[in-house]
Amino acid sequence: MTSKTSNIVWRVIDLIVGGIFIYAGVIKVLDPVQFGLDIDNYKSLPWFVSVRLAFYLPWLEIFCGLAVIFRFLYRGGLSILTALIAVFIGATIAAKMRGLDITCGCFGHASEHWNFPQHMAIDLAILIALVALLFASTRRADVRST
Amino acid sequence: MKLRAVREGLLLIALACLPAIGEGIYFRDKISWQSPIPASELVTVDQARAWGDGAIWVDARPDEEFGRDHVPGAFLLNEDHWSELLPQFLPNWSPGKKVVVYCSAESCNAARDVAKRLRDEAQLKDVFVLQGGWEEWLKKK
Repeated sequence: MTSKTSNIVWRVIDLIVGGIFIYAGVIKVLDPVQFGLDIDNYKSLPWFVSVRLAFYLPWLEIFCGLAVIFRFLYRGGLSILTALIAVFIGATIAAKMRGLDITCGCFGHASEHWNFPQHMAIDLAILIALVALLFASTRRADVRST
Repeated sequence: MKLRAVREGLLLIALACLPAIGEGIYFRDKISWQSPIPASELVTVDQARAWGDGAIWVDARPDEEFGRDHVPGAFLLNEDHWSELLPQFLPNWSPGKKVVVYCSAESCNAARDVAKRLRDEAQLKDVFVLQGGWEEWLKKK
């Protein structure tokens, strides 16, 4: 793959991953109460924390998604999104092991009827894409600095 | 390089606070900050019992738990079979009746979710969640 083609491929992945997080964030910004209830469903945090996170996390997703799309504060955005999705995967697995029937509400009504394997498959695909983007950006930076 | 990522991350974390605080202020009176269920939507076992025939009891637990035992006269209405159970429940409701939804215990979410769907989808008013759920009802039996 030539350098130009590979740049286009990474750019497309940037747009897809950034777009996914912006979409997920906007849906949750529109209904923070429901997102608070979704966080509360994990039974890991007290309500007063869940409800505050419900107001904060969607905006963090939107800002990081924009950072990835516009490549401004790019590595910071990628790092945060990677951490968020890793925590989310961990919380989902922990909830499953505790026998909780979770509706994550990550993508509004679209994700309401996803089962556990579907959730995991999508989350892992996003995690892999984010890690790949982080490696690619490090490599680009190394090439520039040499 | 790592330091730069940390700096950028911290900046994004700080930036996201601004609209979040704004949205929180906008929603400050529209959300219950202390409990997932606003106090006005909760009812105690004693209060619900005092309503007598004016209350309809809704059991939001899974079918098996309902089959084992339930509040006398309660209707089964859980999210597992929502589309089948809702049409069976609705003819029993009439305006002015209070709906009391319960699930297993204080920590379960099923009653809260069913109550929300009854308000949003079935447009019912006076829908309450039983504080402490089935566990509390058993204690006060």
